[in-house]
Amino acid sequence: MDYASLSQLRRLHPAWRLLLADHAPLIISFLDAAFIQPNARVLAEAGLRSQLEDLLFQLRETHGEAAFPRSAGDYLNDWADNDKGWLRKFYPPGSDQAHFDLTPATEKALGWLESLTQRQFVGTESRLRTVFDLLQQMIAGTETDQQARLDDLHSRRAAIDREIARVEAGEIAIMDDTAQRERFQQLSGTARELLADFRQVEQNFRQLDREAREQITAWEGSKGKLLEQIFGERDAIADTDQGRTFRAFWEFLMSPTRQQELSEGLARVFELDAVQSLQPDARFKRIHFDWLDAGEQTQRTVARLSRQLRRFLDDQTYLENKRIMQLIQSLEGRALALRATPPEATLMTMESPQAGIHLAMERPLFSPPLRPVIESDVDAGDESDVEPDALFNQLIVDRQRLAGHIRDTLRDRPQATLAEVIERHPLQVGLAELVTYLSIASEDAHASFDDSRQESIHWTDETGTGRLARIQRVIFTC
Amino acid sequence: MTVPEPYDTASDNALSLAVIKLLKGVVYQDDDPDLWQQIMALQPRIRDYVAVLGLVFQLDEAEGYAWLATREDDTGNAPLPRLMSRRQLSYPVSLLIALLRRKLAEADTSGGDVRVILDREEVVSLMRTFLPESSNEARLVDRIDSHINRVAELGFIRRLRNQPDKIEIRRIIKAYVDAQWLNEFDQRLADYQRHITPADDTSDNREGED
Repeated sequence: MDYASLSQLRRLHPAWRLLLADHAPLIISFLDAAFIQPNARVLAEAGLRSQLEDLLFQLRETHGEAAFPRSAGDYLNDWADNDKGWLRKFYPPGSDQAHFDLTPATEKALGWLESLTQRQFVGTESRLRTVFDLLQQMIAGTETDQQARLDDLHSRRAAIDREIARVEAGEIAIMDDTAQRERFQQLSGTARELLADFRQVEQNFRQLDREAREQITAWEGSKGKLLEQIFGERDAIADTDQGRTFRAFWEFLMSPTRQQELSEGLARVFELDAVQSLQPDARFKRIHFDWLDAGEQTQRTVARLSRQLRRFLDDQTYLENKRIMQLIQSLEGRALALRATPPEATLMTMESPQAGIHLAMERPLFSPPLRPVIESDVDAGDESDVEPDALFNQLIVDRQRLAGHIRDTLRDRPQATLAEVIERHPLQVGLAELVTYLSIASEDAHASFDDSRQESIHWTDETGTGRLARIQRVIFTC
Repeated sequence: MTVPEPYDTASDNALSLAVIKLLKGVVYQDDDPDLWQQIMALQPRIRDYVAVLGLVFQLDEAEGYAWLATREDDTGNAPLPRLMSRRQLSYPVSLLIALLRRKLAEADTSGGDVRVILDREEVVSLMRTFLPESSNEARLVDRIDSHINRVAELGFIRRLRNQPDKIEIRRIIKAYVDAQWLNEFDQRLADYQRHITPADDTSDNREGED
């Protein structure tokens, strides 16, 4: 932590620069509310933007219109810019909408700020115990001597035996409230950190991918040597420390018994009075589902990166890419020299990936163009027999209502004819409504027309005259 | 294989669908996973079928796209009429295609994001360097826009839905703009350059003027 490296860190590290940013309170409060509080991994641009717009609106109400002059979209793009690096903006496969994720640096800054404000007390006992547990795990896990392992197992059994004896004697030691609270705090802290780690893990994978690609691009030697260098016997990404620990974590989490254990354990812990007094966030009970979501996202990224990298290393791609870059550079040089006198003629052709099939039969035959007859004389009427109401009393048939009638009729039977629907819900506006029913039926995959049978539909129009329509039978099914 | 064999109608229908879609243009795995499955399953039959039409079925499984190309006949038979038309490309359109190919190659060397999406402005500034200076900025941008449209017609880029200012470079560009094509372009440009600047000293002057 010498002066030079710290001043460089302040200049270059996104986390530090976030803390120095003019709008830091806006950015941090917003990102915390959008990503950290709901344990969200990746958010679509539209949702995030409207959330930010709401916040900006509120802030402008209290701090004046000029407080934050730019639009929400501008801010988001600015924060995702390379020179800021607080958000990662990307287009996931299959979606045309940009998505955002926090960068690990932002997460660090947020986490540090959170540690400034929270924590009612610092539990030291549980942390000391964790240290002992870890020590124990390492010693036991690396012991190769059979006798030493057996000794260890025996001594642990003896300890358990002693405890059983104590419980049988009615001596049950209860963890006191402070110890409970302390452990819960450590539990929830670690659980949240784990969620935060996913971003770092994913970033590490990206970094590994980038390094491999840089090595490939800059490689001058033979292909065989390159493969040896990058892969050795292993997969460039999945077999790193990062890859292995992530896979182990994932397998552990994916086991159904572990998941059940977590669900039940969290539910029980939440019922403890000491824990309740901490007023824990209820969402914490579901944190392992958030882990699953976040882990799956990372899993997908890793799989995609591995696949991409293998493709990039593919013989042809590897050789072509270099050649292509050389050729394009040469091309660009020439194009620049020809800037003032670009070629007018066509130099290049390219085959279209679309077949130009034009069947003669598909071309329309000649038909004389229709000449509309335009009457330009307008006779002025005397308005005596015009009913202007007709303009305003347009009949409106509500398709939704009619569709509702069909559903309603189908509630107690597997199929119903249109006549049955209308019997239950008589036509109110007459023919227009009947036509709408037919239009619904023609678009509905669950409706069929039976040409062989006819049905009569009766209704009464507004003048009180009875009307009858005969139509082919229409059958709606569930 | 020119004699049709009796197949069950369901898979015949799938074959027809696959061939028709391929004749209409590049098929991407991401755009239609179901169709992609069918195409993968029917590969040999598609290959045989389009061979009758003088076409080759091409597939890049890793990149996730499939397309049809004219079969270059080396048997000495009389050449078949072309089913896939050859398009003439103007110089700026050819140049834009090459520049986009470069962008894709660069994106591939720097990271694993499959999709390369550019702003229209980026494309304009990419092109501007190589076009003659114009005092009418708006006209220059319009012209570049029309070049972009031309490249979109060829299927090498597409505009994002609801965001006409965002342009995605489609990966099929790799299949069409290969070293051979670029080399030809480079050669022809070199020929043209020699043609308009017969002596070396004038070419130096020209560069000085720029």
